[in-house]
Amino acid sequence: MKEITVKVSRFDPACDPAPRLETYTVRVNDGARVLHVLHAIHDEIDPSLSYRYCCGSGQCGSCAVQVNGEPVLACMEEAHTGSVIEPLNLPVKKDLVVDLMPALQNLPPLQPKDAPCLPSKEQIDAIKPLRSCIECLACVSVCPAMTVTKFLGPTVMREEMRLALDPRNCDDRIATAVQEGLFTCTSCQACWKVCPKEIEIPGKAIEKLRALANRQGRTLPRHLEVAELIRKTGRSVPRTAESLLEKTGEVIEPYGPVKATVGFFVGCMYNLRQQQSALDAIEVLRRNGIRIIIPKEQVCCGSPLIRTGQLDYIDTLKKRNIETFASRGIDMVLTMCAGCGTTLKNDYRTPFTVIDINELLTKYGIEPPAKLPLRATYHDPCHLMRGQGIRREPRELLRQVVDLVEMPAICCGSGGGVRSGNPDEAAALGKRRGDEIRRTKADVVITSCPFCEFHISGHTDKPVRNIATILLEGYRKKDREAEMR
Amino acid sequence: MRADDGSDCHVLVIGSGGAGVRAAIEASGYGDVVLMTKTIPGKGGCTPMAEGGYNAVLREQDSCEIHFGDTMKGGAYLNDPELVSTLVAESPARVADLIRWGAVFDVTEDAMVCQRPFGGQRFPRTCYAGDRTGHEMMVTLIDRLGACDVRVLSEVTALDLLKDGDRVIGAVAIDDCGELLTVTADSTILATGGGTRIYDISTNSSSGTGDGFAIGYRAGAELIDMEMVQFHPTGAVYPYDARGRLVTEAVRGEGGILKNRLGERFMKNYDPERMELSTRDVVARAIATEILEGRGTPHSGVSLDVTHLPRHQIEEKLPVMLEQFLKFGVDIRKEPMEVAPTAHHMMGGMRITRECRTTLPGLFACGETAGGVHGANRLGGNALADTQVFGKRAGEFAGKAEPRRKKIDPEQIRRQEERLAAFLRGNANPAYVVRELRLAMWDGAGIFRTAGGVKDTLKVISRLSKSALIADSSRNLVECCTVQNMLLTASIVCRAALLRPESRGAHTRTDIRQTWDAQNSPFSHTFLAQDREGIGKSGGAA
Repeated sequence: MKEITVKVSRFDPACDPAPRLETYTVRVNDGARVLHVLHAIHDEIDPSLSYRYCCGSGQCGSCAVQVNGEPVLACMEEAHTGSVIEPLNLPVKKDLVVDLMPALQNLPPLQPKDAPCLPSKEQIDAIKPLRSCIECLACVSVCPAMTVTKFLGPTVMREEMRLALDPRNCDDRIATAVQEGLFTCTSCQACWKVCPKEIEIPGKAIEKLRALANRQGRTLPRHLEVAELIRKTGRSVPRTAESLLEKTGEVIEPYGPVKATVGFFVGCMYNLRQQQSALDAIEVLRRNGIRIIIPKEQVCCGSPLIRTGQLDYIDTLKKRNIETFASRGIDMVLTMCAGCGTTLKNDYRTPFTVIDINELLTKYGIEPPAKLPLRATYHDPCHLMRGQGIRREPRELLRQVVDLVEMPAICCGSGGGVRSGNPDEAAALGKRRGDEIRRTKADVVITSCPFCEFHISGHTDKPVRNIATILLEGYRKKDREAEMR
Repeated sequence: MRADDGSDCHVLVIGSGGAGVRAAIEASGYGDVVLMTKTIPGKGGCTPMAEGGYNAVLREQDSCEIHFGDTMKGGAYLNDPELVSTLVAESPARVADLIRWGAVFDVTEDAMVCQRPFGGQRFPRTCYAGDRTGHEMMVTLIDRLGACDVRVLSEVTALDLLKDGDRVIGAVAIDDCGELLTVTADSTILATGGGTRIYDISTNSSSGTGDGFAIGYRAGAELIDMEMVQFHPTGAVYPYDARGRLVTEAVRGEGGILKNRLGERFMKNYDPERMELSTRDVVARAIATEILEGRGTPHSGVSLDVTHLPRHQIEEKLPVMLEQFLKFGVDIRKEPMEVAPTAHHMMGGMRITRECRTTLPGLFACGETAGGVHGANRLGGNALADTQVFGKRAGEFAGKAEPRRKKIDPEQIRRQEERLAAFLRGNANPAYVVRELRLAMWDGAGIFRTAGGVKDTLKVISRLSKSALIADSSRNLVECCTVQNMLLTASIVCRAALLRPESRGAHTRTDIRQTWDAQNSPFSHTFLAQDREGIGKSGGAA
């Protein structure tokens, strides 16, 4: 037995103005789950605590709650002292009990054909990964698109894709899926990162549905334009001035001894729109012993096409990029665009390793910069934090150069083709980011993705900086101070 | 109760597991249906937790006669043969319904539904969807339910049946805020599942509290074979709060082997022919004996080992097991599981006809709430089949009932209101009462039983039944009602256990020596109703 102290959200909409956190200390068995802590509170201290549970073994999806802000199944999550237990971000009926019915009722039914048929093994194997959903609605509770549009949400898309794959279903699901908000998903990956069954809804359902929509000619016009641009120029951003690839040499040596050599995959945004951030990054890398090779034949990684379901040109891009780096014998490819990084890591099969700049700098260690007199907040790019699991590294770097204040990690609205395809939605999500930034009272917003950097700039009056730029400012200050001495 | 809290329908289904939802789907073809459930449909009951599979004769080499024979033998010949014939004959058609409605069962390369071997069966006839078969069925049924015209009362708990004379005319219930309501119906179906939550160690979801047995009994229906409680051989043993969690028979079906602390594959001493795939009663007793005689593992279990199987087989065929054990720090691809018996299934229940009619007019029962299908021991894979075969039949025959005028007896409502009001003045913590009940049931009415032990447990139940349960507020009333259902169900199990002076199937009386085997037993069903109880003589039900 052991003692555990937790805070639990209590709220009765009938009589309370707002939820409040109550602190409880209970004795539970070793290995107890969050659910057993709730049982102990209910049985021993306060029988008025309301919470929902049923199977107790992770199979029914009744008991999802937030622990320290993360959705989990109470019956499977080990309880730890100091945890804060709150309801999912859905309409609260009482305490930890939320109303699941509205979202559950949105799940589309299969329309059986008159003549029965059994799917083939191949079809079953395709459907199965979408089928283990226990409808806990953790995904729905974290979906940013649902907060600003009429998107029916991740698990509805999961079921739509299943129906699209199922030969027993007789109606066409694609038009419906588009109506239900297929193109409002920002590919932020929040849904599958909280899914207790780890169903990869963005990649396995939404992108696949978008590909089917593409075959039916339902791709959004703006997305078609981007695809056309990539086909014509190899780039997803129009060329308005000299590109970074044209400006830089093929090999850039560091200032000191070589700690590592990387091939730099520049990406369309840094190549053509956010060049200064990339140039700043090159300086930071040189200062830290990184030798940079920049092959000039590299093209768009294909992310804007994959996320929007336009797959016919993808293999050409992949082949060209892989050959470009592999033919030079490069075994480590650096990305500083979160979108390119997640694409190269997750959608490519590369003969080289792919490393993000934050990973690279923390792996080899950096020369300490001078501390800037700035209160800064950091925006986690979805394709960095969830796409590549990189959360700790940028913070480790930033704490050396600014005072860091945290804000909730929510999508800014620029991904998944939403900024081009659904600008109103992107603006609404951007505005929310702007509000969060204001609440932190930070002087500056730092991020590590050109799309986030560009998009957030339009929704806050604070300067938005790339992490490389801030590090470089730290170095410049350090140099100035050294000169003055 | 407010005057407008009553509604009427043709068929009222109570319970939203596999049997209840199947019944509601079927009944919706005959008139307006209300599905009342204390959980959220699709999430409650034990069907979504059922892992291993669904028995159906699908291949030419198999036959309904063999399935019948296996089921009767596995049930120690206590099963009602008519119900068993119905089960085996209609199970294939019901799995076909599920497949037509979209169920994603595993299929073979040559486009047949996959089937795996399960205990006590001479043919591998257990259809499956990995090790989440019940969940797959449940999502399919809920999808289908959505397409039917059924009114769902979610998180509304049935308290008791409404009666007009002998006839059942619906139910009185309580919603999640503690408000009373009534639903009258031409036919009422009890599909509330089982009740092994009355034991300290159980596989059941929180809804397995025996509500249907208690509600039916209080209304005057007859229950049979309530002493027949299946202890599943393999439940988790640690951490403490996860004790009893089901470790599916599919683990043994896929080739898992059982060993004691000495590394001995002990099933050879109990059933050398069928080994790990013997019937559940035999394997559960074997494991319990190994542990009792000191050959158990440190956590008082035995080893269940699949480490010799290829990784991909474990990952594809047993993904839920893999995931659950990983959550508790055990990688079953690399190390054995520790398991011990856990209360799993109630073979007994409402006495029903093939048309799922109980002994009360207007009342039907199906699924685990009904008795007679599985006799003294259920075969793995027959419960999911049972839910579909008898769920469909209950829905059909309830639906075919004539519409009639229903009159609620105000006295019944008044008594219910008094019962609830008393809880608000009580003093006994329902959680403590349940804790004591569960331990007493595990000690005295578990795998091995004696008359003395059962009587001791009955005394505890009788004392606990007198406690004045307290409800903190109207929202807690339902907890008190549930505890009363558990106490009543437990007492019925114990009384039935005393009525059967023999060991048979899951019911083992260590204080009785007998000269007969199951096939030659002089006894048939035990039966209990408010006004009668006894045990039938063999050759015909009492």
